[in-house]
Amino acid sequence: MGPQVAAAACLLALAVAGCGTGERADDAAAVTERFHAALETDDGAAACGELTEETASKLEQQGKKPCEEAILELELPKGGRVAGTRVEITNAVTTLAEGNSDFLDEGPNGWKISAAGCVPTLPDQPYECELEG
Amino acid sequence: MRFFKHNGLSIVFLALFLAAIVGQAIAGHADFNEDQDRHGDPRISLARYLVSSEFGVAVMENWQSEYLQFTLFVVLTVWLLQRGSPESKELDKAGPESDQQQKIGSHAQQNSPRWATVGGIRTRLYENSLLLVMGTIWIGTWFAQSVTGVAEYNTERLDHQQDPLSWGSYITTPDFWERTLQNWQSEFLAVGSMAILAVYLRQRGSPESKPVGAPHTSTGVEG
Repeated sequence: MGPQVAAAACLLALAVAGCGTGERADDAAAVTERFHAALETDDGAAACGELTEETASKLEQQGKKPCEEAILELELPKGGRVAGTRVEITNAVTTLAEGNSDFLDEGPNGWKISAAGCVPTLPDQPYECELEG
Repeated sequence: MRFFKHNGLSIVFLALFLAAIVGQAIAGHADFNEDQDRHGDPRISLARYLVSSEFGVAVMENWQSEYLQFTLFVVLTVWLLQRGSPESKELDKAGPESDQQQKIGSHAQQNSPRWATVGGIRTRLYENSLLLVMGTIWIGTWFAQSVTGVAEYNTERLDHQQDPLSWGSYITTPDFWERTLQNWQSEFLAVGSMAILAVYLRQRGSPESKPVGAPHTSTGVEG
């Protein structure tokens, strides 16, 4: 029974780590591109639809106006193509070709953006984000 | 009934294992969802939790340390002795012992396992098979701990808007070594204390103990 248990454990570990990340990475990238495309056309409502509830509500509290208005006042990239995506279980980071990154959470309604317009600061330190929940 | 009488030890431990891992899954799932609530993140189903890295790393870090414990116990007790302990061999038997003592090759009995009698590579393999299998499971589960651990660690890093780490970087982090060593220390303590306590203490009827009336100085005697 020993070697089978070990093999099963390894398979489980690999499955947990890597299962289906390609497809989910594409989904996360699509959400990011939809978000920035909505900003490009000044469609605040569509952009807010791609945010997590927590991030949208924090933006409303800070901007003291509805999300769809407040989001258009932020300095976020308008349009853009995702050049790189990294998925880790229920979290992902997408990086636009021009360099800004967005962080996403996966929930029952698919991927939603929890932080956007993020740029790296010091090595191993959190990114600085224009919008975060 | 006869089957249970002859296999009770493995059956009961298998049942205890299953009950405990089901309990761990239920409690771990509830704890995970409480944490999700605190972070304003969505709750996940039990099925999703069971294939998550959170559950995987929690199981693997314990498995690897248990298999390391037995791997080390199997190999170190070949050479290391403990005077008075039933966990130790007798004081004049340190080392791999002779073929005659080990009933290998021409010294094998009629009912010895075939690989103990044939000689060559098969006997070399068979005489170390317990160590090889336990050691392989240890390395496999430790690797699985690192793979599930890096996924869990990176999820947390992304939650805090930090870049994820590679596997190679993760195995140098305090997170990996804290998970590993916190399990190892408890195993080493348990084995070490068992070896020494069994010199002076007894459990009537248990093969893990010396007979109740055996002197403290008698080594390698099981009751």
